[in-house]
Formats: sequence, C-alpha cells, structure tokens
Amino acid sequence: MLKHVRSLGIAGAAALVLPVSVAFANPYEEYAGTTLIVNFPAFPHYNSVVKVLPEFTRETGIEVEVDQLPYLKMRERQTLELAQEEGTYDLISYVVFSKADYVYADQLENLAKYFMNPKLADPSYDAEDLIDGYVQNIGVAGGAKGYLPGPTGSLFGLPSGSETSVLMYRADIFEKHGLKVPETYDELLDVTCKIPELEPGMGGMASRAASGHQASHAFLLHLAPLGGRVFDDEWNPIINSPEGLAAANALKTIVDCGPEGSSAFGPSEAANAFATGQAAMFMDSIAFAPGFEDPKKSQVAGKVGYALHPAGVRRGSQTGGFGIAIPSNAENKEAAFLLMQWMTSKKGDKLITMAGGNPSRFSTYADPEVQAKYPFAATFGEALKYADPDWRPIIPPWGRINADIGTTMSKVLTEGLDPQEALDGVAERTRALMDEEGYYIWQ
Amino acid sequence: MAVRISVKRFQLSISTSYQFLAPAAIIMAIALFFPLLYMVYGSFRAWDPSQTLSESEFIGFGNYTKLWFDATFWESVSVTLRFAISVVFFEMIIGVGLALMLDRNMRGMSFLRTLFILPMMIAPVVVGLMWRFVYHPTDGTFNRWLSTFGLDGVDWLGRHALLSVIVADIWQWTPFIFILALAALQSLPRSALEAARIDGASSWQLIVYIKLPLMMPVLIVTMLLRLIDAFKVLEVILVMTEGGPGLATEILALRISRTAQEFRELGEAAAMSNYLLLLLLFLTLGMLAFTRWQEARAEREGRRAEKEG
Amino acid sequence: MAERQHGDRQHPAFYALLVTLAFMSVGPVFLMFSNSFKIDIDIISGTSALFFIPTIQNYETALCDILWYEPDHLDFCSIRFGGAFINSIIIALISTALTLYIGCMAAYALVRFRFVGRDAVSLATLAVRMVPPAVLLVPVFGLWNNVFCIDKQTLVGAWVRDVFGGRGDVCLAGTHSGIILIYVAMNLPFVIWILQSFIVQVPRSLEEAARIDGAGPFQVFYRIVLPLIKPGLAAAAIFTFRIAWNEYLLASALADRDTKTVPILIVNNTSEFNIEWGMIMATGMLLALPPILFTLFASRQIITGMTAGAVKG
Repeated sequence: MLKHVRSLGIAGAAALVLPVSVAFANPYEEYAGTTLIVNFPAFPHYNSVVKVLPEFTRETGIEVEVDQLPYLKMRERQTLELAQEEGTYDLISYVVFSKADYVYADQLENLAKYFMNPKLADPSYDAEDLIDGYVQNIGVAGGAKGYLPGPTGSLFGLPSGSETSVLMYRADIFEKHGLKVPETYDELLDVTCKIPELEPGMGGMASRAASGHQASHAFLLHLAPLGGRVFDDEWNPIINSPEGLAAANALKTIVDCGPEGSSAFGPSEAANAFATGQAAMFMDSIAFAPGFEDPKKSQVAGKVGYALHPAGVRRGSQTGGFGIAIPSNAENKEAAFLLMQWMTSKKGDKLITMAGGNPSRFSTYADPEVQAKYPFAATFGEALKYADPDWRPIIPPWGRINADIGTTMSKVLTEGLDPQEALDGVAERTRALMDEEGYYIWQ
Repeated sequence: MAVRISVKRFQLSISTSYQFLAPAAIIMAIALFFPLLYMVYGSFRAWDPSQTLSESEFIGFGNYTKLWFDATFWESVSVTLRFAISVVFFEMIIGVGLALMLDRNMRGMSFLRTLFILPMMIAPVVVGLMWRFVYHPTDGTFNRWLSTFGLDGVDWLGRHALLSVIVADIWQWTPFIFILALAALQSLPRSALEAARIDGASSWQLIVYIKLPLMMPVLIVTMLLRLIDAFKVLEVILVMTEGGPGLATEILALRISRTAQEFRELGEAAAMSNYLLLLLLFLTLGMLAFTRWQEARAEREGRRAEKEG
Repeated sequence: MAERQHGDRQHPAFYALLVTLAFMSVGPVFLMFSNSFKIDIDIISGTSALFFIPTIQNYETALCDILWYEPDHLDFCSIRFGGAFINSIIIALISTALTLYIGCMAAYALVRFRFVGRDAVSLATLAVRMVPPAVLLVPVFGLWNNVFCIDKQTLVGAWVRDVFGGRGDVCLAGTHSGIILIYVAMNLPFVIWILQSFIVQVPRSLEEAARIDGAGPFQVFYRIVLPLIKPGLAAAAIFTFRIAWNEYLLASALADRDTKTVPILIVNNTSEFNIEWGMIMATGMLLALPPILFTLFASRQIITGMTAGAVKG
C-alpha cells in the first residue's frame, strides 16, 4: 500500500486514501526538516545528482547540503572526518578503492540493519534490478581476497556513479577511411597508429597518462584484458609478467600515436582532446559519454560510435567509479539511508540518468526514454556483462602501490625507461610493502 | 621650559618590554616552535592522520632510514636542488644584468618597476594556472604561436616539465632580484663611481671592478632570500604539473604534502620535513660561511695591499 | 635611493627593451584577463586575445552563490566561490591586522630594549623565516585537529556547539581562527624584521621628550612611534596580506567546507575532471584583483618593504 501512496506523490491524494493511518502516510515524515550533510565528488554523475536533489527535498522534506570536492581531495577529507568520534557527514560518496580502507577501519555502516527495518526499507526497491557487478565491486567487502564478493562478504554501500570502460570512436572518421572498429587489442593498436597517417594532425587514441593515479589507471585498463593481474592468488606481485609487459607496451604505443601532449593528459585533457576532434578514439569510463553528445561542450556530438572494450586474451572492462555509504559516526543515519535508497531507486536512478548521470540499474538502461536520449545506452548495457571486478586489487596498501605504478609508468612514457625494468622495480617495491603489511604471514 | 638632557639613554623598563614582546612570543611559541618540536617528535613514530600522536607507535629512526634507502626520495631531493639552484642562478644573472643595463635616468622606469612587481604579488596558485594555460599542449599560447609559424608543438609540461616550471618561476621572481639590485645600485656612493670615471674606466670595467663588488653584500642577502624562498615553492608546481610526469617536478615540499595527505604517512612526512630543514640549514650556513671567508680574505688582501702601498 | 625627476634621452633600443619587459611581465596576466571574458569554446578554438565577444558569464558562474539573481546559463550553483571570497577576506584582513599589531610591539621592544636573550630572540625570528610552509603542514595538521581542542562537554565547548553548531569536540581546525593563528605566526618573523629597520630610524630624542612630558611607554609607542613608521607599517601590511590572501597549502589542510578560501577552490577546480578554463580564469582574476590594485596604487610601499628587508637589514 505504502508503495502506491508514494508513487502517487504527495499531491494530497495520499491523505484521502489513507485517512486513518495518517502517522504512517509518509515514511519520510519523521525526518522532514532534517538537514543531511553529504560529501560528493565534483564529477559529472554527481553534478547530475545535485541537480535532482531538490526533487528529493520537495518529496520528503529532508534538506540536503552538499559538500563537493575533487575526488582525490574528497578522500583526504573523508579520512579525517571518518576518524573523528562524531563526524560532519551523514552520507558520503567514496571512490571504489577507498572501500577497503574504510571497511577495514570499521568506519562504514553495515547496511543490513537498514534494509531489515520496515520503517526505512522501501518494499518496491527491487534490489535484483541493481547492476550486480557494481553492487559486488563497490558495495560488498569481506568476501574472496577480502575485497571481492563471496560467502563471507557483506554490504556496506550502494553504487551511484559506477562505471565501466567502453571504446568511443569517431564513426565519421572510421567510415571515411573504411576502418574496422577494433574488437581485439591487435586491431586496436594497429588502427591507433594508422590514424595519424590517414588524418594528419589527428591522434589515434586519447588516453590518460599523467603521472600518478592517471597513468596507473591507464595501464591497468589494458592489463586485465591482456590477461594480467597485479597479484597472483598468494599476493605475489606478478605485474612484471609478460602480460604486464604487453599492457605497458600497449599503453606506450597508444600514447606515442596519441594526440599532442598525450603524456601529460589527465582524464579531462584526454576527453577534451577527443571532444575537440584531436583524437579518433577514446577508451575510458562511460561517464564521459553524455558530455560528448552535448553540442555545447563537444565538437563531435552525433559523430561518436560506441563499442565494447576490445578483447585481448579475454574481455575485461574496468569497474570503478563511486558508491555511497553511511559513515559510522554520522548524525542522521536513518535519514541518510532514505536518501541513499531514493537515489538508487528506480525513480531516482532514472531522474539522475536523464540529468546526465550513470545508471545503477538494468531497468534504467532498458528504459525507452533513456535509450532515446542516449544512443549509447544499449551498448553500455552489453558492456556491463564483461565488467571485471578484479581488474585492480582493492586492499588497504593499494593507494601506495597505485602511486608507484603511476609514477613508474609515467617514466616509461616520458623518460624512455625500459618497461620490463620499470615493472620489475614496481614488483620488487610492492613485495616489500606487502611483506611489511603482513600479507605473507600465512605462507 | 628648559630641556633636560637625560644622561641615561632612553630605554624601556624590563617589565614593559616583556609586555611588548609577550603577544608575539606567545603566538610564535604556540604556532611555530611547538609545532616544529611536535614534528620532530612525530617523525619517530608510525603516525597516520586518524590517530592522535600519543596513540601512534614509536619506531625510532624507522622513518628516517626508510627514506634514506628510498631512491624516489633522493630523486625528489635532486629535483628540489636542481630547481632551486637553477632558478636562483638564472634569476640572479638576468635580474642583476637588467638592473645594470637599466640603471639610467630614463622615462618610464618607475612605471616598469610597478609592472614588474605584479608577478610577485599574484597568488602562486594563479601563476600556476596562467602558465598551465600558456603551456597547454593544444590550446596554450606557446604551441599556438609555434603552429602559426608551422612548427611542431612542444610537449612543455610532459617531456620538458622541469624546464617549464623553472621558466615560470623565473618569470615570477626575476623582478625581485632586479628591484633589489637596482636599489643597491642607486645607493652606491657617487664619489667612487665619479673617481673611476675620471680615471678613464670603461663602463664594463666600472661594472666589474666598482659596481659589482660594492653591491656584493646586498646581492648575497638577496640570493640567500631567494634561495630560501625557492624551497618554499609549492603551489605553482602543484597547479602546473602536480609533480609529474613521473617524479620530474616533484619537489620535496610537494612530496611532503602528498605523503601526508594522499598516503596518510604523517610520520614519514615529518621525517622528510626534517631532512628538508636540515638541507636548508646546511645550505644557508654554507653560504654564510663562504661569504664570511671571502670577506675575510678580501680584508686581508686589502690590508696587505695597504702595507705594500 | 635617489629619485631622479627628469629622464635623460636614451638610445631607442632601451625603450624597446623596456616595452618587451613590460609586455613579458604583464602578458600572462593579460591573457588570463581576456580569457576570463570568453566562453570555453572561444578559448579552446583559439579565438585571438582581442577579437571576441566578451561575456561576464564566467564571473556569474563563479559568484553564483552570492548573486542576487540566477544567471540564465546555470542549472545549479556548484562553485561556491562567493562564500570562499568572503572567507578569504575575513582571514586575510584579521590576520593582517593582528600580525601588524603584535609585530610592531615586538619589533619596538627588540629595538629599544636590551635584555637577556635579545639576540637569541632576533636570531630565532630570523631562523623561522627559513621554514617552508610545507614543513609546518604535518604538525599543524596534527595539532589543530587533535590537540588544540576543547572537549564539547566542557562549558566553553558546549557553548560553542550551541552557538555555532557542528559536531564533535571544538577544534581549531576548520575554523577561521585556526587559519588566522597560523598565518599570524608565519608572518610575524617577517613583519618584526621589516619593522625593526624602520623603528631604528626613529630618533630617540622624540621618545625621550614625550617621556619627560609624562607619557607612559604605551602612549609613547602609539602617539610617537607608530605615526613615524607608517610607511613601514604599510609595506608590512601589504606583504602580510599578500601571504594570507594567497596561501594555499596550510589552508587546504585546515579548512572545512565552511571555511574554504579562494586558492583552495582554484586548486580543487584545476585538478578536476573537466577544466572549465573560462570560469577558472575568472576566479583567478578575482583572486588576483587585490594584489593588482596594491601594485598599481602602492608600488612605492612594496618596493620600500622589499628593499628594507635586504638592503637595510
């Protein structure tokens, strides 16, 4: 019953249908007037969330104050906030690799008790519809290897602004030269260096490559499909395997044949290069796609084709992006859960998607309105099947390993460091770090 | 009323002067000296931002030895030194050179001086922002110019990052040297210059034998100030390159802030801060000792010349 | 420094050099200025620096939270630049005033009084000038967040929480006062150093005469000394303001969502996913505005301050 009442909205009809149980007419009533302080990253998906939040406030009477920070800064801020006895934030968005740190330090609420609470959990929520790969990757911790899902895992967050990688290409350019859209890595690397010859002044593929997190991200993007991993099952670093070398070489080829200044690109520069026609391909998160279709921001709107992340020895596109969770030291946990649930509900997810965000639900991808607005929705729905939750290890020391990979790969790209030597160095330092962190104590 | 001339020179009493000094002393003690001690204490601990310092574990010289054997740390040290030394070197040469050239009576000098101060006054964050745009691989001013002449763009913040960062700093701080050198030049004793000119010294000889030696004390102080400030640079580089690519522009100050904020290793960052302080102390004392030694030598030679003459 | 009134005639090459230098020092600033009035497409497509249709759109985006109207081109206000601007003004002005007040008293005591340890105090003051802000980052972060706190259960702590809201213990971090305290401490050595060189020049006879007329030491200081060192105070004020206004690192470690200053916002928005050059240049321009005004209207004081540090010191 409640469900129907809510879907009718608060247009006064509710009071007429259920005049007796006024107290329960609206599950939000108890929390109306509360102000939630939420911490979101400055990221396209969350800009869309911020746009639809007034709708949440109108519907529920719960006010939301948003503190938006760049996502690396956001993590620094959260580290500090979550460690306090009483924190400022009621709801946080976290980068997927923060999951390990936060859960390990017991700083996030286990969501089970909220989904069990009949006053809070919306029976029409339909959790089956949430994209399972995202939920597992972003929300669940405590399963296999600690960070993967498994029988011992439990749920700490819900996906919002999760993403996977796809290949975006200039359909017009590919057609003009009769090029085949690459389906394998060999074809990809081949075509990426052909384009600068065919289209003078245009780079093959725009890729992230800037020192630090960006270069590491770009490397890992190729590592999984080419069959590599950072660790084997015993936590031995195997990043310097032949697969690792292949990934490093692939990245180097892509950057060398990329648009001008590639080696210093962050995601914004890379996306910009593609949006201004300086590159024929761009392989990165789906989060960028709505921007490319917006003629105000992009000179290639309507000319972009979307394809699956090419396969190497296997298909494996990245999983990443953000989830939302309730800090253990939050003040208004229950109201925060209501916001969290609203954002990831069918209605909220669609509103956010229509405002330019990334869907967290299969039904949103299948929605005719969404498909009409975003030509890529169907491809993305397909891409999600190959989303690889294990493309990078989400363990507490990952921050430092990530930074090491990033600076070392950047040296390969700009200073001509030998890739094998570079990866051997990373493996050696990683082993020392893992040893120090106690990962080999059972061996 | 007759003016009495007090025999004792005017001085404050002890208690008044402590009253005058107290606020500054208290604030500096709380917010400068105590933090510095706190940092030294923290550098011996495995300390992360979610702990208070007393909760953290004492690890002796662990942080120091870890850094000592960390090649990337030494790379940061070398980047810092290369940055500081080349910046000071070029700024001294250009600044003093311009001052010598422009030490003339000409219109527009005071206006130029005004314009020259501008780069120094603007926030380093904004300076970094401007230069990041100027160096932008495709939209930036430099590569635009190059492409209008049909030349290939240069990968400024990629392959030539350190150089690009140094150029930005030279732009911002050469005027500082210029203005100080000019002030020093204009306060030189006219008589010495006149005498030399009457003796028929060329303007080149005038510079080498009269002006530069007389300016030397000011120049040394200037250089010292600039050197100390060069170790404080952080924001410009942060905005331009964030320390990359690789570690190419990761100066120590930046590495400290990353270790503390991104990697959450406060103890290690504190140890690094101490290394940086020691390095600065070493450089400053070295430079002071060197100038003392030079002064002493010059004095001795002067005395010998007097005796012989 | 002798100011010479009339210029001699010089070789034209010198004027060419002057013009080049002027162009070089102002060029990047001008570039930022002109870009701040362009829409992003114009900046990226390389419309020339002079011929474009200027728009104040970027400034509207930047200042959207304190505008009295809603700009048409914005869906929602994401950059809270206006609030940060106000924080910057509060922090820079108060810390400048405090630094000057405390600094000039200390400088006076150091110049006019011989007491045990005076040299040590001078030396220590000089030595801390060497300390880079990055070195202060770790201890200030730790102390301001964990040590310089008042328990919220105490009278004062409870009062602060009642009046100002917020949660947890009352700590210096995240407050204006916390940022002001470190700025005052950081700037004091420099201010004391500069003001000393001005106070030395005040003739003792004036102070002695006032003392004989029955003025107390504080009166002498306020009525006689302060008016005489006004140029020094002006110079010191500009330099202090400049550092407090421009500083990023320590503010970013201490500020919370309500106390962010402008440099923090600028850095946050450049390391970002999508650099909106026009908007970021507009914020840069707004941040650069006070220093530019100082430069144009008080260049003499700035030069005095700079040279007092090195030439006289």
